[in-house]
Amino acid sequence: MVFFRACMALFLTLPCWCSAQTASGCDLVLSGTVMDEHDHTPLAFAEVSVPALGRGTVTDEQGRFRLEGLCAGSLVVRVDHLGCEPIERRIEVREERAIELFLEHHTEELRELEVVRERPDEHVGQAHDALDKHAMERSSGKTLAEMLATIPGVNTLNSGPTISKPVIHGLSGNRILTLNQGVRQEDQQWGTEHAPNLDPFSSDRITVVKGAASVQYGSDALGGVIITEPVELPREAEISGEVRGIGMWNGRGGGGNALLQGGVQGMRGLGWRVQGSGRYLGDSEAPDYVLSNTGVREGGASAAVGYRDHRWNATAYYSWFTRELGILRASHIGNLTDLNNAIESGTPWYVADFTYDIEAPRQDVEHHLVKAEAGYAISERDRIVLTYGYQADDRQEYDIRRGGRSGTPAIDLFLTTHTADAVLKHWIGKHMHGKVGVSGVYQENINVPGTGIRPLIPNYRKQSGGVFLLEHFPISPKVEMEAGVRVEATQLDVAKYTFDDVLITPQHDFTNSAITLGANWSVKDSLRLRFNVGTAYRPPHVSELYSEGLHHGAAAIERGDAQLTSERSLKGTIDLEALWFGGRLRTDVTLYANSIADYIYLRPNGVELTIRGAFPVFQYVATDAFLYGLDATLQAKLTKRFSLRNRISIVRGRDLSQSEWLFQIPSDRTENALLFELPQAGAWRAVEVSAASQIVFTQSRVPVDLDYSDPPGTYHLLGLSASASRTLGKGELRIGLQANNLFNTTYRDYMDRFRYYADARGTDLTFWIRYSFGKHT
Amino acid sequence: MTTNLRYMTMALFAAAAITGCKRDEEDTLVPPPPANEEEVITTMILSFDGQAGAADKELRFTDSDGDGGGVPVFELDTLQAASNYNVNMILLNGTVSPIDTISNEVLEEGVDHQFFFQPAGANITFAYSDADANGNPIGLQTTMASGTASVGSLKVTLRHEPDKTAAGVASGDITNAAGETDIEVTFPVVIE
Repeated sequence: MVFFRACMALFLTLPCWCSAQTASGCDLVLSGTVMDEHDHTPLAFAEVSVPALGRGTVTDEQGRFRLEGLCAGSLVVRVDHLGCEPIERRIEVREERAIELFLEHHTEELRELEVVRERPDEHVGQAHDALDKHAMERSSGKTLAEMLATIPGVNTLNSGPTISKPVIHGLSGNRILTLNQGVRQEDQQWGTEHAPNLDPFSSDRITVVKGAASVQYGSDALGGVIITEPVELPREAEISGEVRGIGMWNGRGGGGNALLQGGVQGMRGLGWRVQGSGRYLGDSEAPDYVLSNTGVREGGASAAVGYRDHRWNATAYYSWFTRELGILRASHIGNLTDLNNAIESGTPWYVADFTYDIEAPRQDVEHHLVKAEAGYAISERDRIVLTYGYQADDRQEYDIRRGGRSGTPAIDLFLTTHTADAVLKHWIGKHMHGKVGVSGVYQENINVPGTGIRPLIPNYRKQSGGVFLLEHFPISPKVEMEAGVRVEATQLDVAKYTFDDVLITPQHDFTNSAITLGANWSVKDSLRLRFNVGTAYRPPHVSELYSEGLHHGAAAIERGDAQLTSERSLKGTIDLEALWFGGRLRTDVTLYANSIADYIYLRPNGVELTIRGAFPVFQYVATDAFLYGLDATLQAKLTKRFSLRNRISIVRGRDLSQSEWLFQIPSDRTENALLFELPQAGAWRAVEVSAASQIVFTQSRVPVDLDYSDPPGTYHLLGLSASASRTLGKGELRIGLQANNLFNTTYRDYMDRFRYYADARGTDLTFWIRYSFGKHT
Repeated sequence: MTTNLRYMTMALFAAAAITGCKRDEEDTLVPPPPANEEEVITTMILSFDGQAGAADKELRFTDSDGDGGGVPVFELDTLQAASNYNVNMILLNGTVSPIDTISNEVLEEGVDHQFFFQPAGANITFAYSDADANGNPIGLQTTMASGTASVGSLKVTLRHEPDKTAAGVASGDITNAAGETDIEVTFPVVIE
C-alpha cells in the first residue's frame, strides 16, 4: 500500500506545482544539507530528488546539495541514502532557501509527522488495508466497526443501530484481535451485543490485517487484526491541535473531538498530547417509525507523554472510554412465541415518540487503558522494547425487570487485564532483520455481586505466556520473505456454582503454536504481489465452556461444553496490487481461504420447557469450518478530476462436518462510487465530492432450519459525501457533509441480529467541521 | 560476543519482569454463594374455588430451579363438569427463604401486566373478576365455568406491558395484546 500512497502524494502536488509555474518565474534555488538524525554528521552520496519533476542530485562530501531552476510552490523532496529509510518531505519554495534534512538509521518506531516516511512493511505478505485520518474523518460520527466496514472484506455484525462489531473475512468477536495502541484490547467480546470499547479518534490511523496473524500478535487473530496505531508524539515545542464538531440528523445529536499536542521548550525529544471526544444521540429513526430506545452517549479521553532520542524512548499513555447505549425496546422479548409474533407482524411491537432518554434494556460500559512503553537501542541497529498494559473493563447490562429492579444490572462484570511484552528488534547480518519476543497476559473476570441473577459467565482467571520469533529477509531485490513461529501456553481457572449450588473450580490448559510464511514480490513498479500462509489459534472462551442458562437477549438457553479445545486456523491469502494504463487503473484484489479446525458455534439442540414457555436450547459444539472469498477494489481515473471506484466483498463459509453453510456469514456486496476532486476552487482546497451506490445481496447460503426467519432481501443504498478545506487564520478549516441511505430506503440486513424486530435506519445526514492548527496536524 | 551477552541479559530481564507479576492469592476468583434470585418464578398455582357445592381443585406448575436446569413438574386435579369456579392465581419464588409471593408484585404493577387464558379442547370459559388502577383486568382473579366432560389444555400467558385498550384485550383476547411474555404455561386439563 505504501508505494501507492507515495504516488498519491505526487498526484496532489503536481497541480499546485503547475499553477505556481505560471504565476512566477522558475529560477528559484533549493539548497541544503543532509545529516544523520542522531549525531548530525553530514551524509555524503545521498540522493536528493523531486520525483514529481523527475529531477535529482547527489550530496557532496559535506552532505550538501543544490537544486536549481525550481518554480515557486510546494514540492515533495525525496532523500535516499544507503542503509537509511528514505524520507519524503514537502517543502514550500517561495524564495531561494536552504534546508536541513535528517535521515535516521533503522529507527522504525520514530514516526516523524512532518516527514512522509516510508515505514518498513510490518506485515510482509499479509493483505492489509488502512484508514488514515482523512478516511476516518469522512466517517465522522460512526462507530469503529462502521468506519472499518468501508474496507473491502470488512463488514459489521449489528444488534440494532447502536451496537456493531467488526467482521473480517466472515469472522468476528473473539476471532478478531484488536490491538489498541500496541496493547491487546481485552474487553467483553463473547456476545454479539458487545461492541469494541474504544474511541477511534484516539488514533489517526487504523490498519486491518486480513490474514491469520497469531505469530506476531498472539491468540485470537483467526480472522484478522485491527490495529489502532499509536500516534507519534511531537518532539518540538510548538503547540498544535484540532477541534471537530459533528452534527447528525438521524438520532438528532452529534459529537466532537479535540486534540492538543506539543513539546517542551528546551527539551527536544519530550512531547505530550491530550485528546477527548464524545457522541450524544437520541433514538434513531427507520423510514416508517422511531427505533425506540436506541440512544447513545459516548465519551473518551486520552493523554500521552513521551520522550525519545536516538537511544531511548519512553511513553506513558492513559485512555478512558465510556459508553451508555439503549437496546431497541422491541428487541426485548419474553419467549419464542413473542419472536414469532414479531416476525409475523413485520413491525416493532413497541414504538414511542422520539426521545433522548435511555431506558432498560441498556448497557453501561467503561474501559480504561494504561500503557507504559520503553525502548532502548542496545546497538546501532538493535533495539529492545518493553511494553506494559493495564486494562479495566467495567460492564453493566440492564434488563427490563419486574418489581422495580430495572435499575439493578442483570449482568455486572469487571474484567482486569495485565499484559507485558518484551521485544528485541534485531538485525542478523546485512539483510536479515526481525523481532524476537516474549509476552504474558494475566486476566481476571469477576461477576460483581448484587445482580440477583445467576451469572451467565462464571468468574475466571486466565494466564498466558508466549515466545515468538519473526524474521524478514530479502531473497532477491524484488522479493522479501517473512517467516515466524510462536508458542503460547494458556491456563484458565474457573470458579462457578452449579445449578445445585455446588462450587466447582475446574482448570484448563491450552498449548498452541503458530507459524507464518509470507512474501512481498514487487514484480515491477506497477505490480506487487503478497503471499501469506499463516496459522492462528484461539483457546475457547469461558462462555463457550461454561455458559448455562437463559440468554435473554437471544431468547435462547445456551449451554457450554467444558470439553471444547482450541480453534486452529490455517489461512492463506494472496493480494495483488497493480497499476494499469500508466496508473489510470488501479486494482487491489485479495483472495483467501481459511480452514478452521474445531470451529466453535451454537447448534440448536431441542427445546426446554420453562415457565416462559418452550425455549430453544443452543449447545456450543465444535466443527471444522472452511471460509473462502475475495475482496477487490478497482479504481479508474476517468479524467483529471473524476474517478470511478468499485469495491466487492464475497465470502463463503462451510460447515464441513455438517456439509452445511455457516450461520451469519456476510452476503455478497458491491459498492460503486463516482469521485470528484478539485485541488483548488477559489479559497477552498482539496475539494472532494463523491456519490456511492451500495448493493447488498440477499444471503442465499444459509444453514437449513437454524434461523428463525428467512434472510432479508437484496437492498440498494445511495450515499453522498462532500468536503473541502480553506485557510482560516493560522490554521486550516475543513468541512464535510455525508448522506447515507439518501432515498430513505426501508431495508433489513442479514448481519443485523435485530432484523427480526425492526427495519434498519433511514436517511442519515452528517455534517462535520474541523479546525486544525500547527504543523503537526 | 559482548553483544550476544547483552541480548541474553536483556531477554532474561524481560522474562523475569513478566513472570514476576504472578500473584498468589486465590480468593478473589471464588464468587460468593449465589445470591437470592428474586425474580424467579418457580411455581404457578391456579386455585379453583368450587361454587355451589363443587369441590375445590388445583392446577400446579413447578420448576424448582427456575429457567434451565431441572425439568418442570405438573400437578393436576381433574375439574368437575358443569361447575363454576372462582379462580385465584398464585405465583411463588421457591428459591428464596421465606418463599416469596410473586403474584403480589404482579398485583402492584397491575397496570403493566395481564393474564390471558386460552382453552383448547377443554370445555371451559373464563371472565376476569379483578381490575387494575385504570379499571382494566389483570387476571389474578377470574371466574371459570366448565362445560361437558372433555380433555384438552388451558394455556396461561402473562404479558408485560400489553396494550390493554386494544380491541378485544379487555375481554381476554390475546391477539392484539402485544407486549412481551413473562409466563407461558400450557396445563393439560381433564374435565369429568
